[in-house]
Amino acid sequence: MTVRVQPSNTHLVEIRLRPEHADAEGAAALTLLRAQGLTSLIETRVSRLYEIKGSLSANQVLQATKDLLCDAVTQEHRVVTPSPAPMNGANFWRVEVWLKPTVTDPVGETVRDAIADMGLPKPESVRCALVYRLVGRANKAALEKAVSKTLANPLIHRAVVSEAHP
Amino acid sequence: MSTAVDETLTILGKSPKDLRALGEARHLSLNDAEWAAIQAHFKGLKREPSLAELETIAQTWSEHCKHKTFTSPIKYTEGKKTRAIKNLFQETIVAATAAVKKPWCLSVFEDNAGVVAFGKKWALAFKAETHNHPSALEPYGGAETGVGGVVRDVLGCGLGAKPVLNTDVFCFGTPDYKGALPEGSHHPSRTLRGVVAGVRDYGNRMGIPTAGGGIWFDDDYRLNPLVFVGTVGILPQWAVGKKVSPGDLIVAVGGRTGRDGLHGATFSSSNLGADAPASAVQIGHAINEKRVLDALLRARERKLYSSVTDCGAGGFSSAIGELGADCGARVRLEDAKLKASDLESWEIWLSESQERMVLAVPPKSLKALEAVFAAEGCETSVLGEFTKNGRLLVTHHDNAVVDLDMKFLHKGLPRVERTATWTGPATSKPAGGTEKKLSAALREAIGNVNVCSREWVIRQYDHEVQGGTVIKPLQGVRHDGPGDACVIWPHAATGDMDDFTGFTVAHGLNPDYGRIDPYWMALACVDEALRNLTCVGADPSRAALLDNFCWASPEDPKQLGALIRAAEGCRDAAKGFSAPFISGKDSLYNQSKDEKGKELPIPGTLLISAIAPVPDVRKAVTMDFKGPGNALYLIGRTNDELGGSLYHKILGRSGGEPPKVQPATALDGFKSLHAAINRGMVLSAHDLSDGGLAVAAAEMGFTGEFGCLLDLDEMPRDPRIFSNETLLFSESPSRILVEVAPENESAFLRHFGKGAKAAPVRRVGQTTANPILKVVGLDGSSIMEEPLRELKDAWQKTLPAALG
Repeated sequence: MTVRVQPSNTHLVEIRLRPEHADAEGAAALTLLRAQGLTSLIETRVSRLYEIKGSLSANQVLQATKDLLCDAVTQEHRVVTPSPAPMNGANFWRVEVWLKPTVTDPVGETVRDAIADMGLPKPESVRCALVYRLVGRANKAALEKAVSKTLANPLIHRAVVSEAHP
Repeated sequence: MSTAVDETLTILGKSPKDLRALGEARHLSLNDAEWAAIQAHFKGLKREPSLAELETIAQTWSEHCKHKTFTSPIKYTEGKKTRAIKNLFQETIVAATAAVKKPWCLSVFEDNAGVVAFGKKWALAFKAETHNHPSALEPYGGAETGVGGVVRDVLGCGLGAKPVLNTDVFCFGTPDYKGALPEGSHHPSRTLRGVVAGVRDYGNRMGIPTAGGGIWFDDDYRLNPLVFVGTVGILPQWAVGKKVSPGDLIVAVGGRTGRDGLHGATFSSSNLGADAPASAVQIGHAINEKRVLDALLRARERKLYSSVTDCGAGGFSSAIGELGADCGARVRLEDAKLKASDLESWEIWLSESQERMVLAVPPKSLKALEAVFAAEGCETSVLGEFTKNGRLLVTHHDNAVVDLDMKFLHKGLPRVERTATWTGPATSKPAGGTEKKLSAALREAIGNVNVCSREWVIRQYDHEVQGGTVIKPLQGVRHDGPGDACVIWPHAATGDMDDFTGFTVAHGLNPDYGRIDPYWMALACVDEALRNLTCVGADPSRAALLDNFCWASPEDPKQLGALIRAAEGCRDAAKGFSAPFISGKDSLYNQSKDEKGKELPIPGTLLISAIAPVPDVRKAVTMDFKGPGNALYLIGRTNDELGGSLYHKILGRSGGEPPKVQPATALDGFKSLHAAINRGMVLSAHDLSDGGLAVAAAEMGFTGEFGCLLDLDEMPRDPRIFSNETLLFSESPSRILVEVAPENESAFLRHFGKGAKAAPVRRVGQTTANPILKVVGLDGSSIMEEPLRELKDAWQKTLPAALG
């Protein structure tokens, strides 16, 4: 789990499977991307990203994360500060797939209500994204094209592709 | 209207060309005659219409809401004869239902779903519809909002039915399609994955079993996939009727209103192109709908409202317009609960935000109703009241937005005469193709993408939730074989735990027959649906039907001619099988420009869905062989009818006669089989469809893990057939292969009639312990010996391999 505190009371919480667990969702995404010609990709793992806006403190967000969003058995629960790391000769990519602001985000709405049900301040809004962490060589343009044909539908999604560290 | 305030549009004095341009800019999908009627109406009122009024009229008059093609006059030429059709829907579907006069039909073509009696206390509401255009643009969101919509149809049927079964039928391009696609369209495999995920997520999250359906692959669906979603709900018979009274409050419940889903109804009245509005696509919120469902059923039990309908295409405009059609309605939009505060009046009025219902609530019941919904965390808002002045008046902060005469809105649609032509296929002789060895043809047939295992899809659905799925979609000793239909016992929902009555739902669809003659396709679809449900133990004489027509543009006279042939086939099938239609839908304009800019229409497609009670679910049967040494009987006659068959497709052959149904004989066979199943004399039964006897026997064998020996010379058949291939692969309708224990053979045969219209039945072989499909040909020699394990492998690997 990664918690990033954003300006103006916006918190970004990332939940991901522990590395020792097989990631079926990631494997399926890898198959789809490779079928688009990105055959140098060797691994894909999927995590969930929640953008929580509202008057919650960092501690309250952490409580919601631990008690509501993260399964302590299978998912990671740690605060990570992004920092440069050795690339080991491979490329690492991060793809965030968000629903566009005009599209209903039912998971986000349910999380917002559930945080309030926990007795915490009700967030103004919660939006949810899928994050794909890719390992393997690719160029950004090809990756963006492949993502638009597999993991995101440009009609309703906003996909953000960026180079990342492992 | 005293002051038309909201943005008004100038239409008076404008030319048809200008009006067409205005309609295109605003996605109104109105034709010249409709514009002329609107112009004349507002000329009479001496004012211009507001934008909201035009949008309301366009939604109400859309193909989606008014089914213009089916209800407009048509000049129809078939061969050299021309005749006038006044109203295709009334003259075919409705006329057939009226002719068969079934007292157990409680509500037909009136409500959001068709309703049939289920025992003395209960009723079943059944509806199937399509969500094709949204699913083509965004497969996941389109499919899940399709499921949400049909569930709400059942929820808004009568005073509300509890959904107990979801079904889904899809038509896609082949998942390993290798050709080019136009920019912006999805590959069929992506559409398949997204649609399946959407149906899965919505049904599973709402706690409704998805236990029936099918998939048909054909590359002509690659740009226009078809997504049929269906729901069955159960309700007490006292709740079938509903009536709005003037003075009842208009109460919206469920999700909030946002900018999502605008123009969904008008969107369905045009061909799918690159300029489709993005707002027509939404993502559903199953949990919100579950809250509405739970609260609504609780409120129904306390009789807190007098009528209900769902907010589908057209949003409040169509829901309130429909509920108030006979009296009138006064609406105040400022009281609607909104997702965003900057919505314009017309957007609130026409938004198709999901998970919303509209109730007519007597004022004295409002507080109690609000409390019931609040307990489920479900918002309510009072939008106004129903009146008795026959007008639809909508205001927003004291500004008039819509002031329309209900009569003009609902009856003012001008009927434009269309022309239609039908010419039969030029030749009926089979031609072309390459002969194949029987065993190679069988392996190809069993692994064909339209026959192979759907386990990859079915496993994603929760087909067990609610605990009433008696016959499941995957059958046999390893729970991985095919099935003809599911059997549902819905009494966990009613609490009548000692009542063992259940029901089943089955489908029939085969566009390949329609390519030869849509009339015979329609009869074959009805026959397939009825024989499927008979196979599991349902009563075919109590079957009710739904029609779903998906066609290309009806503005093409040939397409419309084919549609008429199909509708007339439906009429004759319903009369012949004495099975009424209770509800249906049509989705037209399913065509798009392909990668070369040429119009690609879908093949004319008809989905027939049938529902029938199973008198005792404990006697329902599955299709897998149950043991060695049992007799195999074939019900129904085999004819040389390979036109449109899978065998011809495999050989690359065209032409030939499509299967021709004889409803009276078929029904006799189905009824006789039902009587035998009901007396516990049948061990297994499976219908013969794609791939004929060869595929059906192989499926029964590998699902039960017993072999069989078939003698083709024993088959009831047209005596002019001298070909083993024809006997093995003919797709003659109304045939069922039945397994009967030796001690029950004579009793089993006693159920079958002897008259001219009686279905023939003959012993054609027996089951064996060795899992091999062995066939003896017409000359007495062995012509096939196929290990069933290998056939099952071929059957199972196709779809996973195609999906990668």
